[in-house]
Amino acid sequence: MKRRPRRRWYGLISSSVLILFGFSFGLGLRLQDQAATAKEHLCQDIIASQAVLSRQQLTQLLTIPERENRQAIEAIAEDPYCTLTTIEVRAGVMAERTAYPLAFDPNTWLVVLYEEEEYVGYGFKLQH
Amino acid sequence: MALSYSIRRIRQLAGGGLLTLLSACQAGTPPPRSITIQQTWDLQNGNQVGDYRISSGLGDITLELGGAAVHMPFHGKVQSMSEHCIALTSPEVPAYLFHLCGIQNPNLGQQPQGQAIGRAEQLVFATLRKQPDGTWTLIEPATDLMTRFLAE
Repeated sequence: MKRRPRRRWYGLISSSVLILFGFSFGLGLRLQDQAATAKEHLCQDIIASQAVLSRQQLTQLLTIPERENRQAIEAIAEDPYCTLTTIEVRAGVMAERTAYPLAFDPNTWLVVLYEEEEYVGYGFKLQH
Repeated sequence: MALSYSIRRIRQLAGGGLLTLLSACQAGTPPPRSITIQQTWDLQNGNQVGDYRISSGLGDITLELGGAAVHMPFHGKVQSMSEHCIALTSPEVPAYLFHLCGIQNPNLGQQPQGQAIGRAEQLVFATLRKQPDGTWTLIEPATDLMTRFLAE
């Protein structure tokens, strides 16, 4: 009578461990895969491989309103880490995109989009 | 008695743990998105004429997909906006929002480039650009961009 529950107990523990192992293995593979593809497809050309954005630069940059001249951004953040592929979102206008890793959080990148020398907007891209 | 109690307890804990893990995997479903569009009309997508729902308005482009799949043009996030429409945004394409209606059972959450969002008979498509005051304005999308939604 006492042996059966114990056997069930072992079974339960071993199956839980297996399930947990499976989950973490699958998750690990997925994250690794995502990180590789993210970096691969984000940058088109590396401009300044040491470029990072300091807290101060980021704060200043975020105060610039959209539709401001491109130079307003470039006066704060000089050469970006890389450029992304140009993309035509709006009919007849090519959008240029540059990316800067944050000095204090290197897995987060600031992506800036310009159209015809005009600053259009920014996004934060997480690189896991 | 004590042993069977502990088994029940372990079972509960294991079940709880599995549920937590499963819910963590499902955590990708983001809350619905709501935005303010600069241009408003009486006859616009989502409004009614009598008993009938308007499914497109000025600024929308309807593609006759006939059940074909719509794909992620880049890595990004899919959020529901209304019963029939979703919003697609990406930090890789800042200041733009893509409004898509007519996709059946769309996959919501963060998704990689090329991933199928769902299938549509008629895809009603609008592109919005963010204004400095935080509102959004409808713009004319490029053909190249529309093609990206249809490519795997």
